[in-house]
Amino acid sequence: MKLISLVIVLITGAILIYGTMDMPDWGDPDSPASLHVSPRYITKTLEETATPNMVTSVLADYRGYDTLGETTVIFTAGMVCILLLRSLGGKISKLDT
Amino acid sequence: MFDFIVSKYNYWMYIVLMMIGFYAMIGKNNLVKKIIGMNIFQTAIILFFVSIACKKGGATLPIIKHAHGAEHAIKVSHYLNPLPHVLMLTAIVVMVATLGVAIAIIIKIYREYGTLEENEILRKLK
Amino acid sequence: MIVPFDLIILIFVLICALAAITIKDLLSAVIILGAYSFFMCLMWAQMGAVDVAFTEASVSASIGTILLITAVFKTTRRSKD
Repeated sequence: MKLISLVIVLITGAILIYGTMDMPDWGDPDSPASLHVSPRYITKTLEETATPNMVTSVLADYRGYDTLGETTVIFTAGMVCILLLRSLGGKISKLDT
Repeated sequence: MFDFIVSKYNYWMYIVLMMIGFYAMIGKNNLVKKIIGMNIFQTAIILFFVSIACKKGGATLPIIKHAHGAEHAIKVSHYLNPLPHVLMLTAIVVMVATLGVAIAIIIKIYREYGTLEENEILRKLK
Repeated sequence: MIVPFDLIILIFVLICALAAITIKDLLSAVIILGAYSFFMCLMWAQMGAVDVAFTEASVSASIGTILLITAVFKTTRRSKD
């Protein structure tokens, strides 16, 4: 069993290393990731949101709905933890069984 | 050849880290070890995304210098790419949420079966 | 040749990950995972992602470690692999 999982992991790693051959160099300023959307955020963030910190302005202003959905995720996780870990008190457990 | 290795070695390191986490997830027998592997896996992927945001050649943190002083031009090449940082902030918080739910399930399993080894749980299920 | 700071932290991170999944005592594995998270936070601060480093140090290196230690104390500490 351990041998099979090790073989699967090695195959996955080999495929991913083959995939990095086409990636841009590390720290390349002309890589596709830093040419498409982020220049607009960098140049317009001060005049549109008046916040010097770009990460905060993108997180809370441009992509505020994303952060709202993240709050929903945390709420759901907390609810699931309470549902799983509560010790059922007398009346409720009688109703269940 | 040497330039090629220098420009790619960090990607290979992240892939090795991801392989460690993946092996712990599918190969280990203990459930807490599986959770540790999941944590390592997620952290490796977040590290890969953060490394995409790097720019060499004089780029600094994504905080505008002298923002409330005199007006001056903002050049794109002076600042790091802020977008992967924002996405990974969300991913870290989701990572902790999954960790909490996984730990709750593990405690429930231990109360039910009295062990954390996967093969013993499977034997008790029969 | 100057060894970059980045490479040193990456090697520390790899050693911590290997130790966390091979050690047999679960409490030790969890605490090594906390050290792993802290090295990862250091690495992000070195790459310039300060907000991500703050979040990792507060959320993953403290709350995650506390949650895992609580789980180990509520269940068992021994493991077979």
